[in-house]
Amino acid sequence: MKREFQLKILVVDDSKIGRMSVIKSLDIVKPDADIFQAVNGLEAVEIFKKERPDVVFLDLTMPVMDGYEALKQIMAIDKKAQVIVVSADIQNEAKLRVLAVGAKNMYPKPINDEVILQIFKQDLSV
Amino acid sequence: MVNLEFNEDQIDALKEFINISIGAATASLANLLDAFGTMHIPKIEVCNSSELAHKIESTIDLKSMYYATKQLFTGKFGGECMFVISEVSAKNLGRHLYNVTTPSRDDINDAVIELTNILTSTIVSRLTQELNTQVQFFVPSSQFIDAYSIVSSEDVADYSKIIIISTILDFKDQKINGNIYILTKDEAIESLRVLIDRKIEEIYG
Amino acid sequence: MIALKYPDILLDSLENGHMIIDDKFIVSYWNRWLSINTQIPKGEIIGKSLKEFYPGINYKVLYRKIRTALVINTPTFYDTNSSTKFISMNRNKVTTSSLKLMQQQVTISPYILHENKVMVSIYDISELFEAKLLLKKEIAKVIRLNDKLEAEKEIIDKNIMMIKTSLSGVIIDVSTLFCQFFESQKDNLIGKNILIFKSPDIPEATYKELWETIKSKKSWSGELKNKTSNGVEKWVQTRVTPILDEYGELSEFSAVYHDITNEKLLAQLYITDPLTKLYNRAHFDEVINFIVKHQRKADVGFALVIADVDYFKSINDTYGHQVGDEALVSVANSLKNSLRENDLVARWGGEEFVIMLKNVTLDEAKMIMEKVRESVQKIKINDTISVTASFGLTKYIIGEDANKTFKRVDEALYEAKNSGRNRVVIK
Repeated sequence: MKREFQLKILVVDDSKIGRMSVIKSLDIVKPDADIFQAVNGLEAVEIFKKERPDVVFLDLTMPVMDGYEALKQIMAIDKKAQVIVVSADIQNEAKLRVLAVGAKNMYPKPINDEVILQIFKQDLSV
Repeated sequence: MVNLEFNEDQIDALKEFINISIGAATASLANLLDAFGTMHIPKIEVCNSSELAHKIESTIDLKSMYYATKQLFTGKFGGECMFVISEVSAKNLGRHLYNVTTPSRDDINDAVIELTNILTSTIVSRLTQELNTQVQFFVPSSQFIDAYSIVSSEDVADYSKIIIISTILDFKDQKINGNIYILTKDEAIESLRVLIDRKIEEIYG
Repeated sequence: MIALKYPDILLDSLENGHMIIDDKFIVSYWNRWLSINTQIPKGEIIGKSLKEFYPGINYKVLYRKIRTALVINTPTFYDTNSSTKFISMNRNKVTTSSLKLMQQQVTISPYILHENKVMVSIYDISELFEAKLLLKKEIAKVIRLNDKLEAEKEIIDKNIMMIKTSLSGVIIDVSTLFCQFFESQKDNLIGKNILIFKSPDIPEATYKELWETIKSKKSWSGELKNKTSNGVEKWVQTRVTPILDEYGELSEFSAVYHDITNEKLLAQLYITDPLTKLYNRAHFDEVINFIVKHQRKADVGFALVIADVDYFKSINDTYGHQVGDEALVSVANSLKNSLRENDLVARWGGEEFVIMLKNVTLDEAKMIMEKVRESVQKIKINDTISVTASFGLTKYIIGEDANKTFKRVDEALYEAKNSGRNRVVIK
């Protein structure tokens, strides 16, 4: 059966291994997806504008523009954007902050394929 | 002779591990010190022990006094964690933890030790968690000294690599700037590298 | 792993304090050491809150430490440098020290996490603390003494000429004054062998004696001649001391120098003829008088010679005083160079020279003086002017007065002059 659309996913993290970690798990759960990468918030917003990905995995602590700022801008571009925050900052307050701005959920690093599976089941609608 | 150099991918992976550890440490601190701490991007650097004195001097105000707290930890991953915090920041910390406007020297010493203890334990435990090694922590000791006395050549003689984590801990309106130096021995570096390579292998395939 | 049968007996036998409390400070265990050192028996405190017995403790801090231990599952500590943070106790050992309060190391370890229980351990580190204080005091003392020593070393360095060498003579250290005296930089001296200062004017015998003495672990004193790096000759009074190691074996040599150049120069001036640089008459007289007085076998076998430059007045009148002087100098040099090192040559006065040939027979003396006469004859001032000398020779008779010897040799010279000059006559 031919897929009607290619799932577009944007992975944002200043760390290469951080991005690869998410991408590897995505490979297992959504092998046909089209993956885009960004190394900071500014790049993330630019790629989001251009490609309008269906899902964004966003790190918080990044140089140039951090994840929190990028999240705000992305939500401003498309209030229906589906953003999952993946961060080393695991404080509850941090989670509340990002949820308030419009993220679908926040998970601590490192993420694995089980968590990705759960994310697609519970947090996203694709 | 062990090769103690890290390549770009290994440093990237190490930074990521430390990032996660700092995240855990900030959460612990917020929890235990009863305040929300904003986690700033820690600046992470790996250098040789011979460069430590120079690095420290280039990142601090040479005219100020500092609290330098050291905590030893032993095991296959063995080393020393040193936390350097300015007198001003230490006072802020003491003020916050002891709920007094003018914390005594003893109060500040104790506060700094608590902070170091939490940071060291969380960071080192997180790093060694997946190494499956036991780590024993020793009593931290704190010194109130001038910028030039923070490290002497005898201190670093036994260590090979230093992991420098520069971080700012924001507690309420009290900014507490501090630098964390993890001094490691050859064996620890080797264990770390094995772990990192394994993780890289897992992820990059 | 074997389960301990009577763990409380074990804990009671330890020489540290161990208690178990929860996050509400209720005590559920109190070991023997604690009972003894707090005077609170365990029966009294178990089940009660620590607050009832120690209201002075900062419980907010204690609570935080207990929580930290439980949350991150790792021990927390009280700073060892402040002794009054937890439970204040007196030292239980009888001691003369002024430290009466116990210095403690307090560790809070997670015990049973789900019951919020921790073990608080107290270690008496008073002796360690005392040792640290004592060490600090001793170190301060050492630093003070060191500073004093450094100051004194400075004084010595600037005011005394000192040199230190290895056993093979390699220079290890020199004082500042030494460098100034020898007009050299310290860097240029260190590493070189002290032989660079050896002077050809000092007899080998002296150096040999020096070496033998210090090799046998004894000090040597004496006068040496050295040259500075700019070629200036200096005389020094030296004392060389061997330095022994802890086993009594030679390890280094140390020498102190005292500049006696001026005294030596003065003394030399006193006995030197300024024109010819030979010894002067005063010196010769001193030597011969000494020998005649003491009549030592080694000295009395000498021959006496007087040499007189021929037609000296004529040379002076014809060619001028400068040429005359030149002639004298040339004759003096010729005498010196033709004679043996041991023989004594002096300017007697005017155009006369006196020679003491040591330990010779008359025949030997004759042969030597013939050679000398020939070499004087070869002299040509300005390539044109010939110079010759007449010689009177006699052997000293043991025991006789010096005057008698001189009278005899004068007569010999007179005869030499009257029989044609440029010859040696023996009496």
